[in-house]
Amino acid sequence: MAALSTSSALDMSVRIGSALLKNPIIAASGCYNRGAEYSRVTDISQYGAITLKSVTRQPRLGNEMPRTMSTPAGMLNAIGLQGPGIEYFLKADAPALAHVPTAVIASVAGFTVEEFAYVAERMDGIPNVVALELDVSCPNVDREGECFAAQPSSIAAVVAAVKKRARLPVIAKLMPNVSDLKPIAKAAQEAGADALSLINAVRGIAIDVKNALPLLANVTGGLTGPAIRPIAVHAVWEVASAVTIPLIGMGGIETGRDALEFLFAGAGAVAIGTANFRRPDVHMEVLAGIVAEMRGRGCERVTSLTGLANPRFAGSRSVEAAVARPKTHLEGAHE
Amino acid sequence: MRDERIARDARAAQYVALDVPGTFSVRLPLGIWTARDGEFSVLFQEWGDRTRRLAHLPIGEPLSCIGPLGNQFSAPSEGQRATIVAGGLGVAAFWLLARDLKAARAHTTIVLGARSKLSIVGRDELAALGFDIDICTDDGSEGFHGSVVDRVRSRPPSDVLYGCGPPGMLRALCRYANEAGVECQISMEENFGCSLGTCWGCVVPVRRGCPQGTGYPKAPREIRDYDFARVCADGTVFRASDVLWLH
Ligand SMILES: Cc1cc2nc3c(=O)[nH]c(=O)nc-3n(C[C@H](O)[C@H](O)[C@H](O)COP(=O)(O)OP(=O)(O)OC[C@H]3O[C@@H](n4cnc5c(N)ncnc54)[C@H](O)[C@@H]3O)c2cc1C
Ligand SMILES: Cc1cc2nc3c(=O)[nH]c(=O)nc-3n(C[C@H](O)[C@H](O)[C@H](O)COP(=O)(O)O)c2cc1C
Ligand code: FES
Repeated sequence: MAALSTSSALDMSVRIGSALLKNPIIAASGCYNRGAEYSRVTDISQYGAITLKSVTRQPRLGNEMPRTMSTPAGMLNAIGLQGPGIEYFLKADAPALAHVPTAVIASVAGFTVEEFAYVAERMDGIPNVVALELDVSCPNVDREGECFAAQPSSIAAVVAAVKKRARLPVIAKLMPNVSDLKPIAKAAQEAGADALSLINAVRGIAIDVKNALPLLANVTGGLTGPAIRPIAVHAVWEVASAVTIPLIGMGGIETGRDALEFLFAGAGAVAIGTANFRRPDVHMEVLAGIVAEMRGRGCERVTSLTGLANPRFAGSRSVEAAVARPKTHLEGAHE
Repeated sequence: MRDERIARDARAAQYVALDVPGTFSVRLPLGIWTARDGEFSVLFQEWGDRTRRLAHLPIGEPLSCIGPLGNQFSAPSEGQRATIVAGGLGVAAFWLLARDLKAARAHTTIVLGARSKLSIVGRDELAALGFDIDICTDDGSEGFHGSVVDRVRSRPPSDVLYGCGPPGMLRALCRYANEAGVECQISMEENFGCSLGTCWGCVVPVRRGCPQGTGYPKAPREIRDYDFARVCADGTVFRASDVLWLH
């Protein structure tokens, strides 16, 4: 694979469990489909990985329209996990993932612990898929109860069940709508999570004042974009003091500067969602921004930026120290 | 707007997604109105933030623009009579189609509706292509007093209808076409997120089996008996016989 011209001599690689990504910029779940659409307008190989839309056990049509609404500095969405279900996904979508020019993280969603474990198990062995992200925190589906990421015990149950059945590294995705993220993050780590993604969309509602009605058909939506960035940076900051596994920070990243906030707060990697909608080249700009910062500081490894601003950062900054597992085929994918 | 490639490649009912400079928002989708000589134009109203900013950009300002996007109207077969039915700014979908129908010498009628005489847009450009335009106004200030669909009902039937306009008008047009058994293609609008087919934010309900739908199998406990299609990438053009109007 060609070295990034901007980053020669710099080591941009990051490790998520056994997966080695060539750079720390990831496309966020639900915002990138399987990459094919964005391939037509940008160079998706410059992403360290792309995360797929969350897949459930059964097919889902999702919520009624309207599903999106623009809001100040962000957008609300309530897609409702529309998707093909795991069987149809494996048949119709998975084979094409072999052609994605970067690593793929598959996202799994479910309504019971067993559903998570089943779908995660079926995701094993798909070409290019290097890790599983568990969407235990989607704000837009009726769970007849609560979200798995709301309680330490329920997130632990999901992570443990998945770890037992899936061989790929597991990333648990947390949401900010809890009073204290630390015990939830700790529970996920103790149950075997290899990394944490934070944050999922923040719950929100917009109301049509003229008609006195909620604007989204689902009433509640998930707020994303720059409006949530400080909330997301705070979540990373908090969790970085509580766990030692790598954190993937996301929420409103549009520039290299924004991504650095997350890295300095304690994230080892970052993901970009909504900003792709506006600027499909956003990942390249973010990467260039991080590279410029590394040059400015004279540091050679992107991992050394992690947690710089956070005195309570508990994780590890060195790639080697995080190596606890066998290398994958992705090893050497960077130069 | 100047862009050689978009002006050359634009097909009837396609649109562009513009990154309007300013505070954060997703791209603004606008239909491609005219396209020639390395330039294309858009027709828009100041609806809200993005269209207001766009209207006040200085001339010559560079703008990031993705397109042309979306599918296109399919041409009538040899000898078929076509009617273009445009409501308000929906006319934006029709200059390219009218140009192509003219070039193909297809028998074409254009019915153009607006709230009143003052809000009619697009008439001159379409007339310049050599069409007579049948004007309708809601308030009767010019032409036929009533909706474009009422006007279509009162005219001799045609073989293919092409529609674009507000949802209420499209719904009425589809109902008419389906009842009368006339082929009808409509270009639809929704709130867009990505404009590229990745976010599933812009779906419309279509009948199961519609080739533009997801084609997902039906889940065991799913009570809804339709499918969804993305307006941005599977459309914007759908057949009246495929689209469901739920509300
Ligand atoms: C494929 C496609 C093609 C389009 N082509 C055109 C076009 O050629 N010309 C054009 O003017 N618009 C067109 N639109 C519609 C345009 O993209 C939207 O109106 C857009 O929301 C305007 O963005 P804004 O930021 O200015 O306003 P927003 O902030 O999005 O909206 C402001 C307010 O206006 C209301 N509103 C927005 N759009 C409409 C509407 N269409 N009808 C009634 N109320 C509305 C909203 O509910 C909101 O309250 C098209 C849309 C699509 C999906
Ligand atoms: C349209 C849309 C759909 C999303 N779908 C999912 C999803 O299926 N699973 C998931 O884990 N996160 C989903 N997300 C959340 C994003 O992955 C991300 O956590 C969030 O958008 C914050 O990042 P951003 O501000 O850069 O968009 C979705 C976000 C958007 C905007
Ligand atoms: S706007 Fe994203 S799928 Fe259509």
